Amino acid sequence: MALGELRGTVRRFPQSADDRLKLAQGLYRIGDLDAAVDECRATLRLMPDYAKAHLQLGVVLMAKQEWRAALKELKEATRLDPELTQAHYSLGTVYYTTGNLKAAVQSYRQALELQPHFPDARYRLALVLKLTDRAQEAAHLMEEAAQGGIPQAQYFLGHAYRTGQGVEKNLALSIHWWAKAAEFGHQQAAESLSQLRRQTLSNDRSDRRRREAIEAFRQYRDGLWKGFPDITPNGDGETLGTALLRLDREDYALSVLLQEAYALSDVAHAELVRLYQDGWENHLAPFDKTILTFFEVTAGEGFIPSKKALASIYGQGLGVTPDLKKANALLKGLPKQEMKAVLDDVAGH
Amino acid sequence: MLGASPLWRQFLNTPWLQAIAMGLLAAILAFVLWTAAPATFTALDWTAYDLWLRHRTPIPVSPSLVIVTRDPASEEEFGTGPWDRAIPARLITAAHEAGASTIGIDHRLDQASPAQLGGAASDALLLEAMKTAGPVVVVQSSESPLAPDSAIFGHLLVSTDPDHVARTVPSMTTVNSRFVPAFGTSLFGLFQKQTAPAARPFSAEGETALLVNYVGNGVLSAFPTIPVSAVWDAIGHHDSNRLSEWFTGKIVVFLPSLATEESRLLPTGQTVSTSVVHVHLLNMLLTDAGIFRLGTTGRYTVTLLLAAVIAWFLLQFRGTISLLLAGTTIAIYGSLMLIALVAVHLVLPLALPLTAAAVVLIGTTIWSNLTAHQRLVLLEQDMLRLQQEAAAVREALVLRETRAETLQEDLAVARTAVTQSAGQQEELTKTTELLRSQLAEAQTQEEEARRKLEGLEQQLHSLRAATREPVTMDDVELDRLREECRQLGIITQDVGLLRLYRDLKKGAKSSLTVLLLGEPGTGKELFARAVHRLSPRNGKTFIAVNMAAISPELFESELFGHTKGSFTGAMAERRGYFELADHGTIFLDEIGDLRLDHQSKLLRVLQEKSFYRVGATIPTTVDVRIVAATNRDLQRGVSEGWFREDLYFRLTGLVFRLPPLRERTGDAPILADIFLTEIATQMGKPVPKLSNEALRALIEHEWKGNVRDLRHCLEQAVALSDRSLLTTESLRLGSEHVTLSAGRVKQSQILPDPASDAAVLHCLRRHSFDMQATAKTLGWDRSTVTQRLKGLCFQALVESGGDQANAAAAIADDPRHLRTVELKLMDYHKHLLSIIEPFASADEALLDCKRRFKNLPDRHFASVEVLVRQHFHRDPPDSIKRTKEFQPLHQTLNRK
Repeated sequence: MALGELRGTVRRFPQSADDRLKLAQGLYRIGDLDAAVDECRATLRLMPDYAKAHLQLGVVLMAKQEWRAALKELKEATRLDPELTQAHYSLGTVYYTTGNLKAAVQSYRQALELQPHFPDARYRLALVLKLTDRAQEAAHLMEEAAQGGIPQAQYFLGHAYRTGQGVEKNLALSIHWWAKAAEFGHQQAAESLSQLRRQTLSNDRSDRRRREAIEAFRQYRDGLWKGFPDITPNGDGETLGTALLRLDREDYALSVLLQEAYALSDVAHAELVRLYQDGWENHLAPFDKTILTFFEVTAGEGFIPSKKALASIYGQGLGVTPDLKKANALLKGLPKQEMKAVLDDVAGH
Repeated sequence: MLGASPLWRQFLNTPWLQAIAMGLLAAILAFVLWTAAPATFTALDWTAYDLWLRHRTPIPVSPSLVIVTRDPASEEEFGTGPWDRAIPARLITAAHEAGASTIGIDHRLDQASPAQLGGAASDALLLEAMKTAGPVVVVQSSESPLAPDSAIFGHLLVSTDPDHVARTVPSMTTVNSRFVPAFGTSLFGLFQKQTAPAARPFSAEGETALLVNYVGNGVLSAFPTIPVSAVWDAIGHHDSNRLSEWFTGKIVVFLPSLATEESRLLPTGQTVSTSVVHVHLLNMLLTDAGIFRLGTTGRYTVTLLLAAVIAWFLLQFRGTISLLLAGTTIAIYGSLMLIALVAVHLVLPLALPLTAAAVVLIGTTIWSNLTAHQRLVLLEQDMLRLQQEAAAVREALVLRETRAETLQEDLAVARTAVTQSAGQQEELTKTTELLRSQLAEAQTQEEEARRKLEGLEQQLHSLRAATREPVTMDDVELDRLREECRQLGIITQDVGLLRLYRDLKKGAKSSLTVLLLGEPGTGKELFARAVHRLSPRNGKTFIAVNMAAISPELFESELFGHTKGSFTGAMAERRGYFELADHGTIFLDEIGDLRLDHQSKLLRVLQEKSFYRVGATIPTTVDVRIVAATNRDLQRGVSEGWFREDLYFRLTGLVFRLPPLRERTGDAPILADIFLTEIATQMGKPVPKLSNEALRALIEHEWKGNVRDLRHCLEQAVALSDRSLLTTESLRLGSEHVTLSAGRVKQSQILPDPASDAAVLHCLRRHSFDMQATAKTLGWDRSTVTQRLKGLCFQALVESGGDQANAAAAIADDPRHLRTVELKLMDYHKHLLSIIEPFASADEALLDCKRRFKNLPDRHFASVEVLVRQHFHRDPPDSIKRTKEFQPLHQTLNRK
């Protein structure tokens, strides 16, 4: 309902607490916090024991960073209606901000009791537990929240698997969760993944750790099959992406191929090079920007196949303005022979 | 009260003890002053340090230190208020991944992030980053809901001195009963652990506060800083090269806090936030450029030592020298302070020692003035005691000497007896042995006594030297004293007399009674006038009264005055000398000639400062300073009963013995010059010159009447001589005056025998009747000298009609020797009497005496005969016949 309509209703029925509360919610949504507060207070004057009005007032006050006042209102809301999950959840946040971590945990738990499927509350509770050094319980809750699709939870869970906080260290799972979060556009998760790839591809790291990382990426790629139990690999080093491509599953093929290539799969990478140059029937035009971005990112991270591919693209001007200089620069640091092969290939075209 | 305590005496005699006490007092006083004005004193104490800090060459910045600061560009991006914790989290992660060795961040984990700043997620991110980066040093806060294991806490406190300048950082603080080190120290400790785990971990134990060595003028720009925006940019572009270049192997300190944090004033005059002070502390620890200062105990010890040394200099040396030494000490300390600061970076205290030094300067002056008199009194007491001991030992020596002589004589007699009687030989041999052993014992005792006497005399001598002159005077001071003396009519170059004058000058300031002792003509009245002139009473009346010249009947009237009609002839009221001298000084000359009854009257005035005029009923009170003088030995007067002891003690407030002219070396020629000019001017004659010989004669002459005598001699010479050059002859010293050296030559003409009694007696007197010394001078055996003295004693006894005191006086001539001679004489006489006692008649006794005193010259044996006969006849002393052949002793001896 538009704000104008809400205002009209309130004008017509000034004694309707529900309408006033709706107006308050509308005002809050557009960010007019002061007016929202006024409207909430007006509602409460009409109906002092209206728990939802107290909750709304608390939420608005939270936005205004008036923590004490917010706390008072939210407490009143939970007193009037102990089953108001949203009030418990908000109360947890207020408690946390005012430094009362114990009470925050308590509030989040109550919210979860009232509404077990509440991934946000789960994530918040997990965070507070993590901050109070209860890593195991935190990791458990975080996993549930991550499964509930909260990207932040996925990121933190990835981190937990990476460092072994509250769970057993598992780099493959770490990559799994980070990749999931990155899919939702979680910047830090993407960065963490990128960092891991850089470390894997860099020569500074010890062999053991590099091998571990490479193995983790491989496990992650293998794990991707589980998402498609109906497809079985036909051997020959076929990846899930190529299998999907083979099966013409245009819905998932490209995204899975990208996931595998981001997980340093040479096969998937080669497939992507081909897709970039030639396109895929009606599903994909050549010189796809997503694939180019992939090349740019992974080349920056030191993934040699991407460097070669990108050098080739720039050398030949495939979908981009030809730029030999850039191509040369990309090949810098590669063994002479490989460099020559790429350049010859570019010249051949 | 205190004077009686030996501890007090010890204290007064020990300058170093006084110096330590003075130093202690000064240090305490300096502390009290400091407490009263802490800001001023603190500022003064650090003056040198602050100056040095401002003007020295800047200390290096550690290459391992990188500081990342908030900059306008980053504020534009992240806001001007507090930042989301995700930002420092990312910075920390980046620094860690770029290989930073140690990371510190000026951030407090004191509250949870509000929802607007990322809430719990940002908090978790920061904690995550800190966990990944290993321990990270953060700022301690009193309340901290987030307390991860991965954080090392450090405080950002900075101590401010009372002058509002921040120079130190407390090494530790306690938060919730937990010790928290300084932020800079924590970082340094962590860095050490990371880079050199084997090295001993840094500890600031024992140091409550660390002095901070500031780089440059103390502002943050003195360090290599990187703005947050640049780092953020590098992270965004994955520019690992730049990040590694900045951070690899370094200590990275993030300062993302607002610049409006509380700030401190530095010694360099700049104002910076406390975190910057801690960065300086960290740099100081990294470059090992610590500055140290003494602890409280050290500072007070230095103060005490300096004050004590200065006090010692001031007490030990007087006058300009002491001030110079004290000044030098302060200057040396100042230089030492600068050297310590520049060379070893040790800050020595300045305000406390300087204050203490000033206190000591003032205190010592006051103390010296307060105790000078007391010290003098103590020294005089010591001298008196030693004098008494010396006299006692001298007496013992005389007795032992005589005993040895007697034994020797007995031995000789025994030997004779041995040769005469062979039958009695054996018994006599025994006696001989016995006597010999007794003799040996007596001689040993004598030697011992002599040694003891020598020791005591040495002690007395050194004590006298100390009393007279604790400090040697320099030429300048002598010249000054000489000039002062000349203005008072005292003409002398003699150092001894000048010293005496100086003491007199000091004594004159007090109101103590002054007693001047000295032979006639030594200038007693001049010194009495000097006392008056130098005293605060100068300008008031000075009355000189010659006690010998006042007729006994008029004594009271003259001294105390009389009322009208108090006696026949008292026509009007008359004020006495004492009344005339009210508020002034009265000089009582020849006090030794005062009759006993007059002595008691004078004593009353001295005791009560009041007297009755003759005929008056109301006492008159006066305020008079007494200066008395005499040439008589009052001490002897006391022992002989002709001078009241209590009066003697009343008079001896300050005693000065004026030396005779013969002891004042070099004064005779000056006096002669001045006198000749005066006399010639008076007589209207041209001023005559003295020939070299005449001058030498004047110098060598023993002036019995001292200066007066000299003047008379010159007056006579000027009056009788027409020539402009006075020769030895015109001085006419030869006929009436016998000079010392010439006297000997002339004596030899009158008395061809150089061993004449007069010569021997003169020699004895010169050696204070020390037999051994006399014998050595004359080249004789000691017993020969004894025999001669014995003879002279007997002769004197005969002449004095048996009066031992008179006889002794005639021999001794000088009161100082009287007691010695008296003892010897009594002993000789007693021995003589013991010899003749067993005999029935004088003749028999004489026969034995002849044998016993065979070494006695014949002329003296005549005296023995008279004494023996006198003993047997028991004739009254006045009827002793004088033997014709005697040359009266006083004639022989007192020709001079």
